[in-house]
Amino acid sequence: MKWVHLILRFVLGGIFLASAVIKIWDVQVSHFHVTQFSHVPDLATFAQDVTNYHVPPRELANLVAITLPWIELLAGGLLVCGIWKQASALVITALMVVFLAAIGWALAHGYNIRCGCFGTVDARKVGVTALMEDGVLLAMAIWLVCCPKDKPQQAPETNP
Amino acid sequence: MRTFQRALAIMFAGVALGLGANVVSPRRIPLLTPPPEPPKAQDTVALKEAEELWKSGTGFFFDARSASDYAAGHIAGAISLPVEEFDDHFPQIAPMLTPDAPIVAYCDNLDCDLSHRLTVKLRELGYHNVRYLVNGWTTWHTAGLLTHTGAQP
Repeated sequence: MKWVHLILRFVLGGIFLASAVIKIWDVQVSHFHVTQFSHVPDLATFAQDVTNYHVPPRELANLVAITLPWIELLAGGLLVCGIWKQASALVITALMVVFLAAIGWALAHGYNIRCGCFGTVDARKVGVTALMEDGVLLAMAIWLVCCPKDKPQQAPETNP
Repeated sequence: MRTFQRALAIMFAGVALGLGANVVSPRRIPLLTPPPEPPKAQDTVALKEAEELWKSGTGFFFDARSASDYAAGHIAGAISLPVEEFDDHFPQIAPMLTPDAPIVAYCDNLDCDLSHRLTVKLRELGYHNVRYLVNGWTTWHTAGLLTHTGAQP
């Protein structure tokens, strides 16, 4: 059980960490992703990906694009480092629920849009694959929330 | 309870970090998404002119919506070029075009931004004679002009 817990922490935290670093690097730092017909992706491109889901109000898409990668970075980083494990897994659970709902919404409405799962470098479209991947990640996150390895110790009974 | 408080703390710290990074980033964006710019007269094409272009057979009509919307109904002869898949599809279309080619992009609904985005993309690539038909699909088919259904061959 201890090993399962450790592996899940590293895999889930690692995926979130990687996803966040890619998003932040891609939109804030990198200038390398220039193809013949596209331009350097920036935060506005990622915000456009967010807008395309038509889930948050259009005005708030920028705010989501600005803050989401950093929440992912913190939650993933803390989970990998083993700090506030249950809390960071809870944050990831909440994020996964939102992502799944957004992908489900996009699929239900037939939007053929870029997933944006790993920022603008990820050209995959939303689809059943993304839905299943996120489902697995959600299951992992729920496991980490519900089955913390370190059970809180009960307060020792005080003898009179 | 402590877990919830810590989770909230992580969220708030993430929001604070994101806002801070956006302030110092040279590629910062406004916190709230600005409303789409109203169409400029020089960027849009009137229905009458679009119809003349279509009848003359000299203009290219690009459907900026998704492939499924295109299949459900499109301007007859229009080419499907969803903005989201621009990089995938445009290389096949580019050999047909000259920089002077008259191009009409369209999507649907007054608040649809896809045709405008397609116009901007094409202009950036040097196709200066590109404009978009506002509320294109609805405008075209309610005017009783020729439409087709089915996916792009």
